[in-house]
Amino acid sequence: MGHIVDLGKRIELVPMDRHFHDVTLALYELPGKDGAAAFRVHTYSGHGGAGGRMAWLGKAMQTLGGMVAAGERSVRFPCGAEHAMGVRRLFLEACKLDPAGVVEAKPLTVFDKKSDGNITVTGLGNGRYQVSADDPANTRRIGAVAGGLVKLAEMEAISDDTVAFPCGHAHDALIGLLLTRALNVRIAMREQAEAAGRGVLAAPSAQE
Amino acid sequence: MNQIAPMTSRERVLAALAGKPVDRTPVCNPTSVATVELMDLVDAPFPDANRDGELMARLAATGYTELGFDAIMPVFSIIQESSALGCNMQWEQKDNWPTVRMKEPIWQTADDIRIPNDFLTHQDTVCVLDCIRRLRREFGDDVAIVGKTMGPWSLAYHCFGVEPFLLLSLDDPGKTKLVLDRLKEATVQFGQAQIDAGADALTLPDHATGDLVSGEYYERYLKEVHKEFAERLDIPIILHICGRTVDRMPFIAETGMAAFHYDSKNEPGESMEAVHGGIALVGNINNPETLFAKGPDAVRAEVYANLDAGVQLIAPECAIPLQTSIENLLEIPQAVRDWHADHPQTH
Repeated sequence: MGHIVDLGKRIELVPMDRHFHDVTLALYELPGKDGAAAFRVHTYSGHGGAGGRMAWLGKAMQTLGGMVAAGERSVRFPCGAEHAMGVRRLFLEACKLDPAGVVEAKPLTVFDKKSDGNITVTGLGNGRYQVSADDPANTRRIGAVAGGLVKLAEMEAISDDTVAFPCGHAHDALIGLLLTRALNVRIAMREQAEAAGRGVLAAPSAQE
Repeated sequence: MNQIAPMTSRERVLAALAGKPVDRTPVCNPTSVATVELMDLVDAPFPDANRDGELMARLAATGYTELGFDAIMPVFSIIQESSALGCNMQWEQKDNWPTVRMKEPIWQTADDIRIPNDFLTHQDTVCVLDCIRRLRREFGDDVAIVGKTMGPWSLAYHCFGVEPFLLLSLDDPGKTKLVLDRLKEATVQFGQAQIDAGADALTLPDHATGDLVSGEYYERYLKEVHKEFAERLDIPIILHICGRTVDRMPFIAETGMAAFHYDSKNEPGESMEAVHGGIALVGNINNPETLFAKGPDAVRAEVYANLDAGVQLIAPECAIPLQTSIENLLEIPQAVRDWHADHPQTH
């Protein structure tokens, strides 16, 4: 039997990993050493193969979100910034992936059902990104997607169609990953809230 | 200087429940501190850990061995007896609580109430008794083992449904009292069985909660029943009622129970005034906003608020969310130790 370990601050949790024996997966932000934020995927499960599953998730976060290895079983963004909301979303998305499949970074263009056309995000340098649509007149949709990226990754809104990472660095892979969710950010946020709300015991009088 | 000799966890908890001096305020959870991460740590996940004594003991013990609390409280859920009474259950998965399907009530009138012959040999009561015996064998007198037996108001919600039982309480006080009178035997039977198995104290949840039941209702229907429990069950009893309950705390303080497990909707200071020394208080650390969603600093602030008010035992307000971080739970005993280091004459 193991014991609990001090891994720093837990910032996200998947209570049941559907791809690996329903173990609980957690993302910890490690105590800072050189000023750069680093993260570790951890499980307390002693199930055989759990270490391999953690390693796979770390690799997936590197591929999907442009993170890099940061020492033993840890990852970080190349810029060293925390990007707490972004890394939480990245972790959740990595946990959903079928480990038997191929993990690839997402493109910066995605088909948007609501506007019946493509939405594209273009890097402008210094961590700035511009959202555009096949129909440039669809400013409402462009603004909604830009707003979605702001919410999902705690980006700064520069204008109605332009957003920026506060760190001033490019994060193309992370933007590609978040773009799909930014098309309907309300659903993404609701899913996250519902998942977090599971496991809260209510008094009998308050139960459904 | 603190004149109290160092105590074991069990001695500390029992002294606090008896109103005696302690070497420091105990951290004593009257309800579950199980989390999904702790389930993984000892390979004892829900729902099995609610139905198998060995798994239940393994998971519960982490409250002492890993978190450093002074008590082990193995009855995570509020459904063990209701399952044994025949209620329809939804056992859920690792990440959620088992519940009674209260929309499928098993009884309609007091005459329907039957405590089954196998009530104490049913899987879901046996596992609790087995678990308590295991914990007592493993930990001896080192740590307080707190059992749980549900009160008749909660059992009535489970067996009759919340709405039908509340309507009955409005329409027919006599029949309501008859229901409580008959169901209280289940409370006593299960409580006594846990005492026989080695429990040091019993949590007794009876959900006359602040949102649906008034203080006047508590006095009318439950005060005497709770007094009877305190007389018949010969170990300290910790009453648990969720919600805003200051209006009934003076009545609760007159029941003879050892402690009241109180909700964060009540301020520590006003609660201490309301019970006026008639009963110890425990609990109040907020679950959904603080333990689940905030960090150690916020946890520490709530622990300190309780200690500053003179609350006798420190704990979360209710069963903690299963996704609570271990970091926040560890902060509770650490904050208690630090507070006492700053207040060496307080014990």
